[in-house]
Amino acid sequence: MKTLKLLFVLCALVAFAPTSQAQTAEEIIDNFFENTGGIDAWKNIKNMKATGVASFGPQKYPFTLYTVLDGRMAAEVDLQGTKFIPQAFDGEQFWSTNFQTMEAEAADAETSKNFKANEAKDFPDPFLDYKSKGYSISLEGKETIEGTETFKIKLTKNKIVVDGVEEEHSVMYYFDTETFVPIVSEEAATSGPQKGTISQTVYSEYLEAGDIFYPYTIDVKVNGQVMQSIKTTEIEFNAELDESIFQMPEKATPAAGTKN
Amino acid sequence: MKKAIFILSALLILPLTMTAQEIALKGKELFGDMNARHIGPALMSGRINDMEMHPTNTRIIYAGTAGGGVWRSVDGGATFSPIFDEHPQSIGVVTLDPKDPDNTIWVGTGETWTRNSVSIGDGLYRSTDGGTNWVEIPGFENSERIASVVINPNNTKEVYVGVLGALWSDSEDRGVYKTTDGGTTWNKILYIGPSTGAADVIMDPENSSILYASMWEFRRSGWGFESGGATSALYKSTDGGANWNKIHNGFPSGNLGRIAVAVAPSDNSILYAVLETEDKSKNGLWKSENAGQSWTHLNNDFGLVVRPFYFSRITIDPKDPNVIVKGGLSGSISRDGGKTFKDLGNMHSDIHDITFHINDSDIMYCGTDGGVYRSWNGGTTFEIVENLPLSQFYHISVDNEEPYNVYGGLQDNGSWYGPSSSPGGVNARDWNSVGFGDGFRVLKHPTKNIIYSEMQGAQNVWRYDADLHKTKTIQPLQEKGKAKLRWNWNAPMAVSNHAPDRFYMGSQFVHRSNDMGDSWEIISPDLTTNNPSKQNQEDSGGLSMDNSGAENHTTIFTIAESPLDQNILWVGTDDGNVQVTRDGGKNWENVTANLTGIPANTWVYHIEASVHGKGTAYAVFDGHTSGDFKPYALKTTDFGKTWTNIISEDVPEPAFVRNIQEDYENENLLFLGTEMGLYVSINGGKNWSQFTNNMPPVAVHFVDLQKKTNDVVMGTHGRGVIILDDISPLRELSQEVLAKDVHFFQNEPFIMKESSGFAGSFGAETQFVGQNKTNAARIIYYLKKRHTFGKMNLEIQDMDGNTITTIPPGKSKGINVVTWGFNGNTPKMAKGKTVAPGGFTTPRVPSGKYKIILTKGKKTYEHIIETVYDETSLTTLAERKEQEKYTKDLFDMSQDLAYMVHELSETQKTAQMVVENHPKGKKTAQKLYDTLEELRKDLVITTGDNYVASAEPELRERMGTLYSSVATSYDRISQARKDNYALIADEFNAAKSRFTKIMDKEGKKFKSFLEKNELAMPAIKPKEDFLKK
Repeated sequence: MKTLKLLFVLCALVAFAPTSQAQTAEEIIDNFFENTGGIDAWKNIKNMKATGVASFGPQKYPFTLYTVLDGRMAAEVDLQGTKFIPQAFDGEQFWSTNFQTMEAEAADAETSKNFKANEAKDFPDPFLDYKSKGYSISLEGKETIEGTETFKIKLTKNKIVVDGVEEEHSVMYYFDTETFVPIVSEEAATSGPQKGTISQTVYSEYLEAGDIFYPYTIDVKVNGQVMQSIKTTEIEFNAELDESIFQMPEKATPAAGTKN
Repeated sequence: MKKAIFILSALLILPLTMTAQEIALKGKELFGDMNARHIGPALMSGRINDMEMHPTNTRIIYAGTAGGGVWRSVDGGATFSPIFDEHPQSIGVVTLDPKDPDNTIWVGTGETWTRNSVSIGDGLYRSTDGGTNWVEIPGFENSERIASVVINPNNTKEVYVGVLGALWSDSEDRGVYKTTDGGTTWNKILYIGPSTGAADVIMDPENSSILYASMWEFRRSGWGFESGGATSALYKSTDGGANWNKIHNGFPSGNLGRIAVAVAPSDNSILYAVLETEDKSKNGLWKSENAGQSWTHLNNDFGLVVRPFYFSRITIDPKDPNVIVKGGLSGSISRDGGKTFKDLGNMHSDIHDITFHINDSDIMYCGTDGGVYRSWNGGTTFEIVENLPLSQFYHISVDNEEPYNVYGGLQDNGSWYGPSSSPGGVNARDWNSVGFGDGFRVLKHPTKNIIYSEMQGAQNVWRYDADLHKTKTIQPLQEKGKAKLRWNWNAPMAVSNHAPDRFYMGSQFVHRSNDMGDSWEIISPDLTTNNPSKQNQEDSGGLSMDNSGAENHTTIFTIAESPLDQNILWVGTDDGNVQVTRDGGKNWENVTANLTGIPANTWVYHIEASVHGKGTAYAVFDGHTSGDFKPYALKTTDFGKTWTNIISEDVPEPAFVRNIQEDYENENLLFLGTEMGLYVSINGGKNWSQFTNNMPPVAVHFVDLQKKTNDVVMGTHGRGVIILDDISPLRELSQEVLAKDVHFFQNEPFIMKESSGFAGSFGAETQFVGQNKTNAARIIYYLKKRHTFGKMNLEIQDMDGNTITTIPPGKSKGINVVTWGFNGNTPKMAKGKTVAPGGFTTPRVPSGKYKIILTKGKKTYEHIIETVYDETSLTTLAERKEQEKYTKDLFDMSQDLAYMVHELSETQKTAQMVVENHPKGKKTAQKLYDTLEELRKDLVITTGDNYVASAEPELRERMGTLYSSVATSYDRISQARKDNYALIADEFNAAKSRFTKIMDKEGKKFKSFLEKNELAMPAIKPKEDFLKK
């Protein structure tokens, strides 16, 4: 099966190459889905359980990422044998675990609202039915990135609210002109002291996952330096999930006599 | 089927045709993820040309800079970020679309404060997505300098552009342009002549049909500046630019110079203008209270008349027409409608633009020669924006320290040196001042802690003792019977590679000192053309005299001593001469006539004497001061008898050349500093490739190559010092290498640096911090194709094939650089309630050879690197080996403990299950559980949190802390730690005994129960599996 798929991709490369001269953003996106398993295969995905290792410099953390079509997500990390959830979204509320107390805390309202309006709609891919998400796309020309010629496609997402002010929100994607898969996306930090700083997300190691090809390695770079590298070892689509993982746990009731 | 055969055939044919062709990778395809790094400095920042406020969002402010591109603040001016890094960095104006200010930004390039050192622009740009993408608007490619972009607020498709135009030549591109279709088509609606450009175009705030345009006749050459003429004038149009009339009623007759003009936002009848006239008493501020019908002269104080070409900006308080601010040496503010002024508060001198906050006029932003300043109290107190690394270097040099220092001089910001890396990054506090005024060349004595620096026109040349902090001025002075010395604004100096105390300077003569400047001898005749028509600087300036020394001409500009022979000296002059001596100055040969393809009298900007041959040298020529922006670089191998052009079409006009640096090992590897960034050639100049990875097309005034590190260090005129670390891989590039799927570049052994890591980061929230060079091993390889599909891994192994760690591989086409910090993985720690911080320490590897194993699909590529200990280490080799052994023992002990806790916890889980589900075994299971729990509480923390509610440390935490302390020590292991180790090892042994005893007693009974009842044994993993990450 894998051999067949790979052959399919190779053939697709040759078949698509001559038409790469005059592409529209829409055609590029279509080719991307077609080359990675077909739009139907993508649309069959309801959830994903991905396990792997996240590296921050020399530190490596095993993780499991749960993502659901309705936007819920939870990342679970193994920290010295203890599982904790650095980030999760329950469909309405974005939450994280406070490292000091190891207890769950809700993110500020803007973060939850912005996540719900955008990132929560991005699974399994932000370009899948992008119009229904309120997104729009435009081809911004070609650019060499990662040493490779790419189509530069701007994905304009839904507006976000930052510190009380509504702002535009977009991500630039770079699709390899040969294979039509995205190899890099670029986004400015939308909030916080680093607001405006451009970070690159670099996609590689596209491998067969279920019926599609999916990037098993995602590196995040700032100024050319790899800040984190997420290497997935196993992906399961439409898995049996314990739904409770998305829910923000109650804070533990302190034992009687516990000091504040 | 036919198609399939065709594809197969194509695949077969492809490799054959590929090998027949030369692989010519360029730019990003070649350089892959090699990235430049910026180290600033930002503490003195650099020149700002234009400030622009967002019309409704008080958090957003733009700064258009003289040489460092466009920067935007989204936090009310606390910090700024660059948004224009792929385009020319010299900016004239930034304008936001009044109806769509979040998205539509117009940028006119080319600085408009026309000092001698200005760079150039190449047209008009627009972004419609908030600065992410920029499109060049056709029609303005040759505009050179755009002073104004004015947009009709009611119809933003109607835009006016004021083109100031060429500084050093005639140009018919000057004038005022208008579009009514958003920039698709343009009409030139005001054109005076090829010498007269639009210095300012403004629009009436109430009536978009009313425009004012100040037209300025001006010209600069390499040896003078002229401001003013019969065609300078102030015009008004009341019909959207269809017709223009001079509005000079009240102005003095005669020629005019640069005119600043502003209309009060709160009262469109009130105009202010600053004039440069033939009558000194009529210079300065004029006011009209009837929209330009007549004018009254108000003020000619110094602050209003100073250097009009440099300071012609009036800003009026948006709420009060009587509060006006004028740019100038200090900047001036009036609160009585222009009758009287006082200086603005202390800040960097030379204020070019001022803006008021849109809601609160107490808040002001000033653009100066030293960056952006903020005032919160109406212009009395100013504070600098600390993260704008816009420093404008004329020259840089490096020393041989570790880390090496970078030395250089800046436009209006003195002379400095600072480290190329520093703990926590290169900070403002890392830079040291070594000169006043404008700074230019700064050179380190080759062996002593002595630094030479200078100010403009060699008015002072300092010899600075950096140990004693003592200075001495040492510039050569006119000698009896000799001509007056002519010094360039940026006077050349050079230290000798052969005699450490030797120091050269160039006026029209070459001066040599053999005692660090205490005494001098002239060792040449006048090497320039000595053309008297280019020596009338006292007449420079036009209507306003401007004899700053910036226009001094017919001077020596570059001196190069051969690194191979102290008697060979090359000299280049600003008026086009190349001269060489082979006998230490006794005889000079003017080889100018041998130059090929260089227009006469073109400025010789730099000569590089080669290490590859005594007769070999490179010379670059810069014709921009006569309006010639072509790139020129020549090479000679026969002392200048013949020259070869080494510029290809890859270096397009207007990337005129200011510097060249050869590689010390590979003669074909060259680095070209141009007005539009850095270019690299790997074939001796036959082809060039622009380097753009984190490298904007900024003017590169000087390039140096640090010999120990192979770092290319650039002095840019607008973005500070930019470094391209370790270019040695470029030496290896060849057709053979480029044809390989994977090629690892050779590395020198990597030194495992030892330093404290202490770095106070106070202030870094809003200060620029320069990026450090990594101390990690840089593993560099070339990939013929980007790795997108299939698996790819990079593993570090010892020479026996044991995995040390894995690192994320770069997968770019071209050159990939990945770093390894000489560490293995963290130990697997026992599970507790909270984390043991010591367990996050990764052990360093011993010195020695290591395998880099790159797997790409089914193919494996191997490369060997070597690590060596830091020679500055405090330990002996035997002590280090002891430290490594302790580290390994504690690493293993921590993992052993982790496994024991795993065994224990899994047993407890099963016991708990029996307690809950099997009453017959409950007593045995409960006893086992409780006994194990008692032990567990002594092994790991079982209560509290990771902060101040943390529990007392147990064995795991103490073991982890000791492990971390030992593993990160750069000194021998102290007795205290050895004693602590013995204590912990004993405790661990005791704990193991306790565990064994429990399992022999309670555990045995429990297991027997499980067996009898055919219940599953505890899910204890084999140790090897448990320890797998």
